[in-house]
Amino acid sequence: MSKTTKWRMPGKAVYFAFTVIPVALYTFFYVVSVINGVKYSFTDWDGMSVDYGYVGFKNYMLLFKNPNFWNSLKTTLFYSCMLVAVVILASLLLSVSLNSLKWFKTFVKSIFFVPAMIGGVTIALIWDQLFYRVVPLIGQFLGIEWMSQSLLMTGKTALPAVVFVQAWQAVAMPTVIFIAGLQQIPEEQYESAKIDGATAFERFRYITMPYLLPTVTVNLVLTIKQGFTSFDFPYALTGGGPVRATEVIGILIYNDAFKNMRFSVANAEACILFIVVAVFSLTQLKLTAKGGVNE
Amino acid sequence: MRKINDETIWKLLRNILLVCGLTLILFPLYLVVINAFKTLDEAGRSFFAFPESLNTGNFTELFTNSNYWVFLRNSLKITVISVGMILILVPSVSYAVARNFEKRYYKTIYFYLLMGLFIPSQVIMLPVTKMMTKLNMLNHTGLIILYAAFSLTQGVFLFVNYIRGLPYEIEESAQIDGCSVFGTYVRIVLPLVKPMLSTLLIMDTLWIWNDFMLPLLMLNRTQEIWTLPLFQYNFKTEYSFNYTMAFTAYLLAMLPMLIIYCLGQKYIIKGLTAGSVKG
Repeated sequence: MSKTTKWRMPGKAVYFAFTVIPVALYTFFYVVSVINGVKYSFTDWDGMSVDYGYVGFKNYMLLFKNPNFWNSLKTTLFYSCMLVAVVILASLLLSVSLNSLKWFKTFVKSIFFVPAMIGGVTIALIWDQLFYRVVPLIGQFLGIEWMSQSLLMTGKTALPAVVFVQAWQAVAMPTVIFIAGLQQIPEEQYESAKIDGATAFERFRYITMPYLLPTVTVNLVLTIKQGFTSFDFPYALTGGGPVRATEVIGILIYNDAFKNMRFSVANAEACILFIVVAVFSLTQLKLTAKGGVNE
Repeated sequence: MRKINDETIWKLLRNILLVCGLTLILFPLYLVVINAFKTLDEAGRSFFAFPESLNTGNFTELFTNSNYWVFLRNSLKITVISVGMILILVPSVSYAVARNFEKRYYKTIYFYLLMGLFIPSQVIMLPVTKMMTKLNMLNHTGLIILYAAFSLTQGVFLFVNYIRGLPYEIEESAQIDGCSVFGTYVRIVLPLVKPMLSTLLIMDTLWIWNDFMLPLLMLNRTQEIWTLPLFQYNFKTEYSFNYTMAFTAYLLAMLPMLIIYCLGQKYIIKGLTAGSVKG
């Protein structure tokens, strides 16, 4: 044994050993799964039966003819657009407001960050109760008709309601990222702008905005991705209903695979989502590689 | 005078906005907390008021009649073991890649692992469920392995860039002084990457603790193996009429994370922002 204490694994071997387990795990559980998924999308497998056959692009062709699929894509797009608009606008306003606070800045900021700590399902279930018990009361009190019934039950209001709940959580992170961007702005620039007589809006437009632009792109991509892959919130709040009004692509895939026994079709849907997300992720990689923000 | 006016209007608007925002965040949480301490009767009478007395009946019932402790233990076990594995695997593979980036093998590994950035979870969820069924791994072990495998992409992306930004000279001189590669890694590199380690720790703890989709796919068979998010979701149907009880369950599910947040909110916010800006 005394020999082993002197013997030392060569450096190269140590480096190589470091890579073995992660690469094996990733290959077996991740890459093989993706390949299987693509493979299943070209079959007629229902997910249960023992054997299945290859059908070529039939699933894709069927999907393109299926109004429910197009409806789901449209819903997902609407969902993402609304989410992005709400989240970016709210976090921008919040971060500028928070950053200019003189007292209790850290404390107030930490309260605004609380939703990021809570899981999507918990938040969705809490709001589910509130939509049922509290929001109608507010609607009646204010005399707003569409708010007087449960927002999740009516086709027109269900989607914005789900977006609202996801935004309730999703605003936290972009706000903090924006604040990090804001803190890079040298105070002197504001001072001299003030002396030159610039209004608050002008100062925001010509000093704050240019500094924030790189963070805006990061937050945009972050939120768009969240919108496209949304699952927890619509699943726990509406399950896709009423009458497919909130059936985003994540829900459609899940329902087709595990409830409607259309496993191979669901995989084809997932592959289409894959292409969409890949395009956005490429953009993200390009942006972060350029060193978008600080550090 | 105009400028002063400007300033006051902006400050007024800002304060209104912040108060509205705070209300929107805190009011729902307030309702959850106060109604958790009410009986169904009392909540029906006064939903918005403070509870008349601190009624802990809901809590005792949950603690005794449901498997809350089992679910909490499951969540804890899965989170702790997965994050532990991640904290061992991610930095070591990243170190190997970052310090051999000019070699073809390591560069290939880097881009190979990064491919995951392009793949949404929905693409994985169907085939991986089938695979785990076939392997007979629809259990905690299977879930933990999946978390470790799925965390690599983001983790390696963060760490490789971070390590490549560190000065190589310190490691070099350590190795000249006779420190092995492994020794250099443990004694020099790991202490240097501490900030990134805490980012990884926070990011993945939150993700795994709150994750719903994977447990839904893997563990939604028998109650004994549920995690807390799964318990809450299934609780919705089970206790749909008894909503104060539901609020108690939500409160109990949020509580562990909120306590941790109160203790280290500064580090948590910092860590998470660093992670998302880079990732």
